[in-house]
Formats: sequence, structure tokens, C-alpha cells
Amino acid sequence: MEQFEQVHILLVEDNPLDAELTLYGLQTDHLRNPITWVKDGQEALDYIFRQGAYHEREDILPGLILLDLKMPKVDGMDVLAALKADAHTRRIPVVVMTSSREECDIVKSYDLGANSYVVKPVNFEGISTVAKQAGLYWMMVNVRPPR
Amino acid sequence: MLKVGLQSIRYKLLLLVLVSSFATLVVAGAALMYNDVREFRQMLGNELTAQADIIGQASSAALEFNDAKVAAENLALLKAKPEILAAALYTAKGSLFAQYQQQAARVELPKLPELDSVHIEGQRLVLFKRVISHGEILGTIYLSARYDLLARLIDYLAILGGAMLLSLLVGGLISSRLQSHFTEPILAMSKVALQVREQRDFRLRAAKTSNDEVGYLVDAFNDMLAEIGDRNAALVASRQALEHEIIERSVAQKALAASEQRIHALVSTMSSVIWICDRRGCFMVDQDSWAQYTGQPMQEYLGLGWRTRFHPDDQGQLDRAWSIALMQSSAFALEARLWHAESARYRFVSLRAVPVINGDGNTAADTNSQDNQEAQEWIGSITDIDDRRKAEFEVLTLNMELERRVSERTAQLEIANKDLESFSYSVSHDLRAPVRAVAGFSAILRNTQGDELGAESRRLLDIISSEANRMGMLIDDLLSFSRLGRQAMQMRNLDMGQLVQKTFEQLNLEQSGPPLQFRLGQLPQAEGDRTLLGQVWANLLSNALKFTAKREEAMIEVGAISDDEKFTFFVRDNGAGFDPRYKDKLFGVFQRLHGTSEFAGNGVGLALVQRIIHRHGGRVWAEGKPDAGATFYFTLPRHTGTA
Repeated sequence: MEQFEQVHILLVEDNPLDAELTLYGLQTDHLRNPITWVKDGQEALDYIFRQGAYHEREDILPGLILLDLKMPKVDGMDVLAALKADAHTRRIPVVVMTSSREECDIVKSYDLGANSYVVKPVNFEGISTVAKQAGLYWMMVNVRPPR
Repeated sequence: MLKVGLQSIRYKLLLLVLVSSFATLVVAGAALMYNDVREFRQMLGNELTAQADIIGQASSAALEFNDAKVAAENLALLKAKPEILAAALYTAKGSLFAQYQQQAARVELPKLPELDSVHIEGQRLVLFKRVISHGEILGTIYLSARYDLLARLIDYLAILGGAMLLSLLVGGLISSRLQSHFTEPILAMSKVALQVREQRDFRLRAAKTSNDEVGYLVDAFNDMLAEIGDRNAALVASRQALEHEIIERSVAQKALAASEQRIHALVSTMSSVIWICDRRGCFMVDQDSWAQYTGQPMQEYLGLGWRTRFHPDDQGQLDRAWSIALMQSSAFALEARLWHAESARYRFVSLRAVPVINGDGNTAADTNSQDNQEAQEWIGSITDIDDRRKAEFEVLTLNMELERRVSERTAQLEIANKDLESFSYSVSHDLRAPVRAVAGFSAILRNTQGDELGAESRRLLDIISSEANRMGMLIDDLLSFSRLGRQAMQMRNLDMGQLVQKTFEQLNLEQSGPPLQFRLGQLPQAEGDRTLLGQVWANLLSNALKFTAKREEAMIEVGAISDDEKFTFFVRDNGAGFDPRYKDKLFGVFQRLHGTSEFAGNGVGLALVQRIIHRHGGRVWAEGKPDAGATFYFTLPRHTGTA
């Protein structure tokens, strides 16, 4: 594990239960990455661009962002658009994790530059399993962009 | 007539020959006879003179010696001459000296002698001759001989008549032979002429038999026939052309008459007012229909007075448009209000006029010329469009009202749709979150503390998990059902047989049921959205598989019936079937005829099928009996020619 750089994961999720289940799935034996959880879009933007409450944060960009779409205040789409519009943050892989199977959401997400789209399941595997799989793929299989 | 004429030529010719030869013979005969009679008399006279000389010689002595006896004897010698009927001797003094008379002849001797002469007395030739001896007149001899001229004439005439008869006969014969040379070509010609006349065949020709004038005549006749034939042909051709022309002209005239009648009928049935004015726009003659419509008397509308019957507010516009049209000789059209006498108010009319450019009645529209020729007069019409205007206005109002309502409804619908969309969005998002949490946390509980829980706790935990899953599926189905109404369909021509085969194979792989007999009939190509119709087949086939799962031998049949308007597809199985009383409930959302424990399912499948088929313009229904299988039908309209 030491040869892998510790990649910072940013989880953007307004539902605490979903967040807990996701965190549960991500914190397995294989994945020991530091995870930051922000509860809405505005907080996510503040965190990423080091503003507001996070203006004194260390200047390290997350290596993967798990983004929920439907959130109060600034929703996921706005966050995605802001991320992909900025040259610094454009290359950060963004995995959209949402309840919506709506075609318009899927299309719009990809159009805005989402790298992956995952529907939160309600079946036997549960959201934890899907989050784990997604985390493993993006951390271990996918080759990340250079810093 | 011609025949008789020619025949008569024949007789005339014959007659000509006969008469001429007859005349010749008569003249010649008369000359001969005259000569003969003269010679006969001279001969008789000479003979009688010689006889008298002889007797004189013989009797001179007797006279000299006054011997009457000897003289009588001398005279008696005349017996030998039977033609001499009587003779006498007279003395120089004139007294009868001797005489002789033939027996039976009763000739009265003259009392006194006459001078020397020979003359005819009746049927006798009488001679007086002096008897001279030595220059001394001794006496006179008298002889009377028979002069039989008549008999001789009769003989002569008989001979002449015979000769004439013979010559006429011979002449007639010869001429009748010769004349055929002249008459035959003429007769032949006349025959041809007759044939030509009767048969009207100008190709007939008379045969030329000689090279004389008759031959020329035949040639001329033939030439004339040829000429007549040509002329006749030309005449026939020109007559035919003429007839054709006449027919064409009569057709054209009929068409013209019909067209005129139509126009007349049109004009008379039209409610329009027709008017004519001169090139300055003045009414010159009485305009019946104008007067009838406007109620304006003639003395008022003549000249430019007609303008005043238009609504005062429209007169300015009328004057402007009218003066422009007059100036340019261009067609004029205006809608204005005109006083209508009958309804006693102004009514909207369509006023139109065209200038008549020349005397042929050509209007500006006909001549189509760019250069502005001056109009001779104007023909105009006025059509009452008041009702139409009113109707148009009403239609316009109605349309506007309708449009307003439609847009209102559309807005309402849009709002409703938006509501529905946000509803389903929140359903998909918010409703699933708690379910997800229930499923997720019970899974974690089971994974982390499963061993510490008792068997009953684990059973309850499983129930919570599976029900949460079911809830999630229900939500998904409901969402996909609501999505259906909003999704755009991509219509294309589909091979239904292939679609069914593929769908069935996919389903059958997942299924582990009893031995299955699957019959796929001949399916037509149909138009539809591939994904949606695939879903229809998947739902119907999985239903069939589900409900035949408990059969010992399952049978599923897929087929199609086609007619002119639609294709009817069906899926038939020998499964659990259904009670036909509830067949209407089959296609309702979340409607189930079987318990969940009996057959899995959530009751959305057939509702989806119905929704998809309805969106395709088709119909769905089902037939079945409990435990005797079911047949599901759906139709798709035939889109002929549109692929």
C-alpha cells in the first residue's frame, strides 16, 4: 500500500445516512484514504476553492470527488460546472453518485464533464458496496491525472 | 337523251346521204327526160317532114294535072305507116284535093291549109308543108301523126324510178357501213360519259380508235375527264376540309354559346352588382343592379354621383384609389361600406373594376401589357361581403378565444407536467433515500453483528432487507412507468420476428422452468420504437413464462394476424390463465389478479405494455380462463408508405 500516494477523497452528500453508508463502503481494508465529507454544494465549493470557512485550508486538491446531485443551496450540477470550468480543478475525477436515473440528469452530468455516473442502489448490495467498488476502481485501477 | 341524240345523228347521216343522192338523181333524171322528149319530137317532126316531102314529090304531078285520083292513091300508100292517122292534100288555092284517113281514126281535117309548120294538137303531131315544084307552089300537104308522149314518159319514169330506188338502196347500205366509223367512237364516248355520270367515276376513259378529229375528240374528252376527276377530287377534299371546319366552328360556337350562357347565368345568379362606366369613371347609362342595391335613382348616380352612396368615411379612400386606377388604367379593388337600400344601412362590399383597353373587349388583365394603354371604359363589380366579413370577424374572434384557451390549457398542462416531473424526481430521489438507508444499514448490521444475533433476529432482518428491496423496485417501476409518457419515441421499421426471438432467448436464459415448447409464427415488419416494443415483448413473454412455470409442459405461442389497417400480434400460453370477469383490471397499475405468494410481480408490467401500445396508436386486450391459459393481443397500425 505504501507505494500508493495517499489520495484525498472529497465526499459531497447532504443525506447523513447516505454519507455514512458511503463512508462505510469506502473505509475497507484496501482503501485507507483520507476522506472529507461536506454537506452541500456551497461547502464543497468553499472547500475546493479554499474560501469561506476553508480559506485557511492547506493547498492540496482532492484526488477524487464523489458528488451527489440533489442538494440544498448549490446543487451538484452547479458544483460540477464550477469544477470543470476552472483550469486547476478540471482534471479531478468526479463520480456522480445520485438516486436519479433520469436521462436528463445522466446526459447533463456527462455534458458538464462528469467522469462517472453511479446510481445509488436500494438492492441487496446497498450503497456501501457500490461506493466501495467505485472507490476501488478510481483509486486502484484508474490512472489519475498528474498533479 | 344523249343516247337518242347520238342515235339520231346516225339517222341524220343516213338521211343526209339518201336525200342528197335522191336530189341528184331527180335533177339528173329530169334533165335526161327533157332532152329525150325534145329529141323525140324533133325526130318525129323530121320523119313527118320527110314523109311529107315524099308524098309531095309523088303528088306534084297529080296536083299539076289536077288528077285527084292519083293523089288519093298516093295518100293511100300511107297505110304502111301506122303512126300516121290522117293525111290531106290541098290545092294552091286552098281547097281540099285528096284525103286519107286511117281506119278507126276519126280525125277532122282542117278546112284550109296553114303555113308550113309542125305543131302538137292534143295527142297528135300536125304538119303543114307546101308542095313546091320548080319554084312554083302547087299545093299544101297536111299530115296528122300519133304523138304518144305520155306512154313514153311513163316508161321513162319507170326506169328512172327503178334506177333511183336502186341507187338509194346502194347508197344507204354504203353510208350505213361507213357511218359506223364516225359514230362508233362517239357512241363509245357517250357510253363512257353515261357511266361517269351514273358511277361518278372519273377514272373511266373512252377508247381511242382512230387518229382523225374523232380521235382528237376522244383524247380531249379523256383529258377533260381527267381534269374533271382532279377537280372533283380537289372539290371533295376542299369540301371535306370545309365540313371539318364547319364542324369545328359549330363546336366552337356551341362552346361559346355555352360559355356565354354560363356567364349570363353566373351574372344573373350572382348577388353581385355589375356596372359599367366610361374612362373618366362616370356612369353613362342606367345601371339596374346598382340602382337596385343602393336605391339611388338614375339622375343621381349618373356621372360621378354614384360615389356619394359610399360611407362618408370611406369616400376619401375610394377617391384616392379610384383616381390612381383611372390614371394608370390598372385593375382596381377596394373594400368599402356601401349604402344598401333594402337593409337601410351601410354594408361592406368588395368593389372591383378592370379597364377595357381596346374595342375587342380585352381587359388590362388579358392584354397583360406593361405599357399603360388608356382605358376605353371600365367594367366593375360590387360583391356584398358584409356577411362574410361578419363571419370572418366571428371566426377570428372564436379563433382568438380558442387560441387563448389552448394556450391557457397548454400552460396548465405544462405546469401539471412540470409538477409531475418534479414529483417523480423527488420520488426517485427522496423516496428512495430512506429505503436505501433501511436496506443499507440492515445489510451492515447483518455483516458486522450477524453472528451475535439469534436466528429469529436474522430472519426479521432478512424480511426488512427484502421488503426494502421490493420497495426500491416498486419505486423504480413506477418511475419508469411515468417516464414512458415523456420519452420521445424513435419510430423505425422493425423485424418483429427477430425482436421476439432475441427477447425470448434472453428471458429463457434467466428462467429455469419446466420443459418449454415455444412456437414462433411468421411475424410482419412493423413500425415502432425498438426499445419500447422490446419492453412490450419482454413483459408479455416473461408473463407467459411466469404463469406457465407450474405446468408440467409449458407451451407459448407467438403469432400475428394482418389486415389492411393494422397488425394484430398475440402471445398465447397454457398457463394459469385468469378470470375473464377481471380482464379489465389486468392493465391497471399495481393491479394484480394473483397473490404475490403465488406469482412474483408488482403489477406494473401490463400497465407498461398498455401505455407503450397506446403511444404507438394500438390497442391491447386479453382473453383467458382460470387454469386454461391466456392470450394477450396487441395491435399496431400499418403505416403504408411511411417508413
